[in-house]
Amino acid sequence: MAWGFGRSGSEGGSTAPVAAEGSAREAQRRANWLWIALSGLALAVGLGLLMLALNRETAKLGRGDVPTAQVLTQALVSEVDGPAFTEGPGARVLRLPDEWSQTHPGRHGAVWYRFKLNAPGSLSRSDVQAIYIERACSNVQAIFNGQPLYDGGRMTEPYARNCLKAHLVVLPAALVRPGDNQLDLRVVGYPLSEVTARQRAAMLGAVTVGPLDEMRQLYDDQIFWGLTVSQVLAGVLGVLGLFALGMAWVRRLVYLLHFGLLTMGWALLGARLWMAEALLPNAALEVVIAMMFAPLTGVAIKFLLGYAGSSLRRAIQLRHEDWIDRVLWGQCVLMPLTLIAGLGFNVLFDVARAWYVVFALQVFAAVGLFLWLAGRERRPEYWLMSGTLGVVSAVVGIELSYQAGWVRMWGVHITHLVMPLLYAAVAVRLIQVYAQALQTAEGARKQLERRVQEISAEIERNFNQIAELRVEQIAEKERKRIAADLHDDLGAKLLTIVHTADNDRISTLAREALEEMRLSVRGLTGRPMVLSDALADWRAEVVSRLGQAGIECEWRNPNDIIEEPLSSRTYVQTTRILREAVSNIIKHSGASHVIIAAEVNLEHHDFVLVIQDNGKGIPLELDGRLDRGHGMTSMKHRAKQLSGQCLVESGPGFGTIIRLTLPLEIATMQQAMVPPPASGGSAVSMGGGARAR
Amino acid sequence: MKQILLLEDLPEIRAWLKTLAVQVFPGAQISECSRIHDALELVNAVRFDVAMVDLGLPDGSGVEVVQALREKQPDVQSVVVTIHDDDDHLFPALQAGAFGYLLKEQSREQLAEQLQRIAQGEPPLSPSIARRVIQYFTAQARLQPPQPDTVTPHVQLTDRENEVLLRVAKGFTLPEIGQQLNLSRHTIADYVKQIYRKLNVSSRAEAALEAQRLGLFRR
Repeated sequence: MAWGFGRSGSEGGSTAPVAAEGSAREAQRRANWLWIALSGLALAVGLGLLMLALNRETAKLGRGDVPTAQVLTQALVSEVDGPAFTEGPGARVLRLPDEWSQTHPGRHGAVWYRFKLNAPGSLSRSDVQAIYIERACSNVQAIFNGQPLYDGGRMTEPYARNCLKAHLVVLPAALVRPGDNQLDLRVVGYPLSEVTARQRAAMLGAVTVGPLDEMRQLYDDQIFWGLTVSQVLAGVLGVLGLFALGMAWVRRLVYLLHFGLLTMGWALLGARLWMAEALLPNAALEVVIAMMFAPLTGVAIKFLLGYAGSSLRRAIQLRHEDWIDRVLWGQCVLMPLTLIAGLGFNVLFDVARAWYVVFALQVFAAVGLFLWLAGRERRPEYWLMSGTLGVVSAVVGIELSYQAGWVRMWGVHITHLVMPLLYAAVAVRLIQVYAQALQTAEGARKQLERRVQEISAEIERNFNQIAELRVEQIAEKERKRIAADLHDDLGAKLLTIVHTADNDRISTLAREALEEMRLSVRGLTGRPMVLSDALADWRAEVVSRLGQAGIECEWRNPNDIIEEPLSSRTYVQTTRILREAVSNIIKHSGASHVIIAAEVNLEHHDFVLVIQDNGKGIPLELDGRLDRGHGMTSMKHRAKQLSGQCLVESGPGFGTIIRLTLPLEIATMQQAMVPPPASGGSAVSMGGGARAR
Repeated sequence: MKQILLLEDLPEIRAWLKTLAVQVFPGAQISECSRIHDALELVNAVRFDVAMVDLGLPDGSGVEVVQALREKQPDVQSVVVTIHDDDDHLFPALQAGAFGYLLKEQSREQLAEQLQRIAQGEPPLSPSIARRVIQYFTAQARLQPPQPDTVTPHVQLTDRENEVLLRVAKGFTLPEIGQQLNLSRHTIADYVKQIYRKLNVSSRAEAALEAQRLGLFRR
């Protein structure tokens, strides 16, 4: 929504000194605010003026402008109560429209109006003629040439309440005389001092004689605008009010409750406009109608303050709110009392008018406060509300002026039409707010649902992770327990065998078994290590063992530190293979020099250990077995288990080369996913005529 | 005459170790026991020269005994004799003040030689232990930046000691390192001894700090 802050803001900023930026912003804010307030006010004033213009237009419309019709502008008026026109003492000629408050102040009862219809042009026409009476308050009876033709309802007290109703009297052709014709209108009504609104004070509006169809047109228009529209609007307002009450019930919003009561009350009050036959005495009815404005004002103000919302809580302290409540509900009680008192002193209208002014001032104050708060909060409906409330203020002003007698209104009563429309506008806005809240709630609910789903998924994921972790922990614990058991039981027993066996071979076997056990446990419980560290461990062991055996050893390591991870399984198996190879060299080869080269091929994800000795090579046995006692089979088997390969090249006289190629972890893990090929990675290629096995 | 403490729960192994000790230290007086409780009593009663301590015992870990010896008889040479060869088991014992370790399953000749060496001040040092020591001191340096006026002096390794450690960690044997650095076997052995000593001192300082901190929290 365009708030127009940009323009006024830059103006404020340019005038403010740079040093006092805070106060400049404050000033700018105030300027913005003032701008909004003035704009709102201008809008309200503009719409109010528009209303006034509209009022003037409807007044013109009400007068009717039919060229063929004859508007009766003068009548002989006589204040007599009798059943027929008699020229009383105060009889005089008066111009129409005739308001009794001006011409017959205090007259309670009947006033006769006699019209002379002697213009042959208008009555001698062949078509059916009719008399159109725009307003006759409270009721009228028509007598043509001494013949009663029409009445609008009860002519005895309490009179039929037809103040806003037009009358159409058809003139039977038989009664029309070619010369002088006499139309007597008997109007009954209450003086201004006995009613609570000027529009219900006795009067006679314009009287027009013309062709029936034209008169009927005027009559229909007046009935439509004066009554039908009011009735329809009252119905609409009633529905709106019910709807608002329903929303208030569902959402527990007090301001909606107030709005519902306001519209329902206004709809109910609308009945005064068209309910002609009420069997209550006029005074009682007038008091009842007027006193309904007190609670209506109350709920209107409560609605405005409630709708202003939480900012109001800051603007008005709580005890002020209590005070406002007390005033509002207090005047609901006080007003009927003063009205009844006014009735007693015959100043009912003045008392009611004074109350209307009080109510109007209260409503103006509430409107002002609401617009001030809404403008400060920059609420999106500020313009709508300032327009609506401006029109409300204008209409209330017009109404007050009318009641005071400063403005005349003929025909259509602007308040009766405009107020319901304003209610409808506000109601539409409230429903919109409600719908937005509903939509927001729906959106929030959906978002919440999504969030709940996300969180559930996350919880599930976490749970799975925790479960896996737990399984892992349990497995780890179990492995540790097995390791401890192995050391304590098996280890201790093997150890005892190692150190108590008489036979060297048995003690060696037991020692080897112990080493195997230790490696197995390490494979079970060990942490993964870095390849560099593994190479260091292997080097230390191999060099020290070969050194003890008096064999020269050259170890070639890659220069860089290799951070590739190595599982404890690979570490343990490789250690075994290396141990076996070194044992072979020490025991069988007779070599004096060993070169061990470690190479890492990161691009192939593998590492290669080449163990080369200058011994006598592996002799080929008669039965074709290459490795009797040399553990070649187990070395190859182990390499195969690790998805690697172990190649042995040997020939009598030029030593043995063992080439061990093992995948690094990333490759191993990928391999672990798919089962290894049946004829695996281990192969033996023999040099010097040695046969592969 | 040397006083030797022998703590081992398996009778056969204890007997075997006893003969080994007698072989290495002829005429030594050997006090045998099979439980930590007995060992601690002996520590209070007898002044030892060498202690051979098993780690996994029925009533706890031999590390306790190593520690007690370190506190009450700082001059004793504690040697861990164990079936465990992994640094997870050995490192705490070294921190507690052990000066070396022997793996039980080795042959009598090997064990005798190693024990002899340890007794003469040439403790073994494996790559994995060396890595643990490096890690330990690096972490210490990070936790406690050197401050001249702290209550407990911060123990630091010298450059040479670091050099030796790094080479061991890379898989070089001690004689190899001696050759590389142009140092005698004894000098290298002294470095290793010094490293063990510093490990023990630093660990004790750390333990004291830890105790102090716990005390502060408890108060």
